[in-house]
Amino acid sequence: MNTADPRKTFGEALAEIGKENSKVLAISADSSSGSGLGPFKKLFSERHIEFGIMEQGIIGYAAGLATTGKIPFVVAIAPFLTSRPFEMVRNDVGYMKQNVKIVGRCAGMSYADLGPTHHSLEDVAILRTIPGFTILVPSDPVEIKEVAKAAAELNGPVYIKIARDKMPIFNDNKEYKFELGKGVTLKEGNDLTIVATGVPVYNALEAANALEKKGLSVRVINIHTLKPIDKEIIIKAAKETGKIVTVEEHYLAGGLGSIVAEITAQHAPAKLHMVGVNDQFASNGPYDGLMAMYNLDTNGIIKEVESFLKN
Amino acid sequence: MSNLNQSENLELKKNALAVRKNILRMVKAGGAGHVGGALSATDIITALYFKVMNVRPDQPLWEKRDRFVLSAGHKCLALYAVLAEKGFFDKNLLDTYGSLGSRLPGHPDMHKLPGVESNTGALGHGLSIAGGMAMGLRLDNTESKVYVIMGDGELAEGSNWEAASAAAHHKLDNLMVFVDLNGLQIEGETKDVMSNADLVARWKAFGWHVLEIDGHNFDEILACTSKLPEVKGKPTVVISHTIKAKGFSFGEGKVAYHYWSANEQEMKIAENDLAEIERSLG
Repeated sequence: MNTADPRKTFGEALAEIGKENSKVLAISADSSSGSGLGPFKKLFSERHIEFGIMEQGIIGYAAGLATTGKIPFVVAIAPFLTSRPFEMVRNDVGYMKQNVKIVGRCAGMSYADLGPTHHSLEDVAILRTIPGFTILVPSDPVEIKEVAKAAAELNGPVYIKIARDKMPIFNDNKEYKFELGKGVTLKEGNDLTIVATGVPVYNALEAANALEKKGLSVRVINIHTLKPIDKEIIIKAAKETGKIVTVEEHYLAGGLGSIVAEITAQHAPAKLHMVGVNDQFASNGPYDGLMAMYNLDTNGIIKEVESFLKN
Repeated sequence: MSNLNQSENLELKKNALAVRKNILRMVKAGGAGHVGGALSATDIITALYFKVMNVRPDQPLWEKRDRFVLSAGHKCLALYAVLAEKGFFDKNLLDTYGSLGSRLPGHPDMHKLPGVESNTGALGHGLSIAGGMAMGLRLDNTESKVYVIMGDGELAEGSNWEAASAAAHHKLDNLMVFVDLNGLQIEGETKDVMSNADLVARWKAFGWHVLEIDGHNFDEILACTSKLPEVKGKPTVVISHTIKAKGFSFGEGKVAYHYWSANEQEMKIAENDLAEIERSLG
């Protein structure tokens, strides 16, 4: 399986977008190369604006720039663009309905050893409360490019969540089609559906394939757009498979699991099991170790599915 | 030096009187409002819209307009009153202040009312937004300027100082901030609530060009706005000494009138105060 660096991939995509649209700006908070902005800076130095470490101010500046027709992509470490300046994101971008793209990189637990100050396990939960926000969580490098392009084309506030470590490239096939707001069925199945988002999507797919060998028919749905969510694909899965397991690198409170619970409870009650980090600051250490610790790796997802079915 | 002649000065005083009347009209309709800060900022906002800024009330989104950001969004009575007086919208809207779903909320909403440029109210946001506007306008090579009103109590918000650093660092000399230094906030005197000593030195240290004026003196307001930038490559801040609730005799300089829940007796006094100003202007 080929892999690619998510930040580098995003940065290359943004440079391409910059060629197409001269209104696109790249904004950084002291870490432009860490945010993959090298190629954009090289091509369009006058459209890259460095602010240093001041994320509250940055969000306001981005909103002000957007009022003059610019399309700012603010790229920095995820928690510092989401939980730290939340009120600026809510008021200056959300309430003012400005065309600002907030790109939280090294998101989830991918800043592994740096610990909970640098993890972002609540970003989706808090940002999805803001009316009019679009939330995109790509699952592989192919999707990162699609998401970046879609964000630039959409006129409105967007949050993009991208990871740090190299990601397997698994969406590079003819059947894959990116459509904003639409879930992607990666694998059909009738006994149970795994609905996943972001980095663990690939692990969920691997887990489903392993479970298939044990005689279990598992559907896998990749949700790259958490808001607006594709209700239909979830309702259909709830009705057809009756059981859903959600998988996300996020707190159980307010993320994908909560979104799926809100939909199924109201439209198609199904048995639901949520996999993620449950009401605790995550530990620190190697990323793969953390993913295993919270059952977000392939083996963990298999265990979660099996114990859900047993109980 | 101000370029105001005597008749222009008188005209501005009349404009400001009309604005104060509009403020009173809104409070009458809604029963209450943040009059203290609105009245302390009234003369500056009036001068900006009637003498300084390049705006077109019939084309509120005209690309080359100057921008105004009311960072201290609770002073919105003054902004609405000026916009109405300037003809951005029908004055009858003023009578909807405080009503359900009014287009004149207790803090401004750019999507509800023509002429409003940003949604402020939570303090410590406006300067960053204005800085972004100034930056965007400069990228477009326009001559447009951005003017901001901040409260002195508001300066305790740390985000303002992020915004101030960035404006100086990026040399946003098309940006001018008025600090409405009325010296009072809800809890009492600003200097006692959270020290704001040496504002001139603070802003200078952040790399700004600093001026200091009487914020109720039109000659001084016009003198400081006559050339922007006065210093190339630097944003300008004008520390403006003002009086809270200026114009309403019972409330001038009093903390209690930060937010005024109007009663009949005080309403009468306010009307008389404005009538007296009118008589004095001839």
